[in-house]
Amino acid sequence: MHGNIWVVQNPQGSAQSMALVIRFQVRPSITITMTESGESSDQPRSNSLFRGLQVLLADDDDVNRAVTRKLLEKLGCTVSAVSSGFECLSAIGPASSPFQIVILELQMPELDGFEVAIRIRKYRSRSWPLIVAMTASGDEDVWKKCSQIGMNGVIRKPVLLQEIAIELRKVLVQANKVV
Amino acid sequence: MEVGQMQGRLVDYTKSLFMEGFLDGQFLQLQQLQDESNPDFVVEVVSLFFDDSEKLLNDLTMALDQKNVDFKKVDAHVHQLKGSSSSIGAQRVKNACIAFRNFCEEQNIEACLGCLQQVKQEYYLVKNKLETLFRLERQIVAAGGSIPLMEMGF
Repeated sequence: MHGNIWVVQNPQGSAQSMALVIRFQVRPSITITMTESGESSDQPRSNSLFRGLQVLLADDDDVNRAVTRKLLEKLGCTVSAVSSGFECLSAIGPASSPFQIVILELQMPELDGFEVAIRIRKYRSRSWPLIVAMTASGDEDVWKKCSQIGMNGVIRKPVLLQEIAIELRKVLVQANKVV
Repeated sequence: MEVGQMQGRLVDYTKSLFMEGFLDGQFLQLQQLQDESNPDFVVEVVSLFFDDSEKLLNDLTMALDQKNVDFKKVDAHVHQLKGSSSSIGAQRVKNACIAFRNFCEEQNIEACLGCLQQVKQEYYLVKNKLETLFRLERQIVAAGGSIPLMEMGF
């Protein structure tokens, strides 16, 4: 059933075509995870990478925030969600923060994702917490900017469970290599 | 009507919504995210979408009604509506927003007004369809049945 669902999105020619490419590069272990999990609340053992992961989610849109939060919780993460850049910075705080990953919508009013990331990297730490951007933009320049600012990954919207899992896994693995 | 018939009706109705482009794969993902810990997830998120969209449509109507239209503001509203409709799989609304944003960029007020009408139309259509879907689901549950899982054989 999962295979059919992902295939459904291909012919639509929607903005999700980028995700398509990533899908074909899915590592076997992740594919198996997704097909086994189905819609039950049982999380497969291979999601232990995400279980208990402390995530801070910042998105000003109520609908997107609710959906992304649920996706992350489905993976096993513990999620705190805020609706603005300022709340995000407050939640991270000046001293050590409980969050391992911050997932940031780039386009937020007042203080956008770029600004939040810049401040985190400048005033907190150059490498912690890990920062992953979320954006509807497929623009390579946007992604380059994210990387230059010191973000660790990018997730394309609308968000898909598999895509979040792949990107977070990649980001976590890379972080472990550096350490 | 007995449960089996109701379930058949729900499946057919849901399939038609996908075939006609009202909904896309993102909606399926929403349904898959629903589980025992969150049995009303889809209805909750869709209700959020309805509330937010109605506010956005009002804001858009007002913004386009100004003597000097602030196209940046209009575009920001449309962008938000595009984002939320996209996350729940309201494909036609999303597509109408994409067209709308192009005209915002061109600062073409007539075209924008046309697009607003289009977006509103698509929004009310999908709202109506989803409310019908949820009603069918409630009827099945009330009759003691369970909601059939969607198998998409496209």
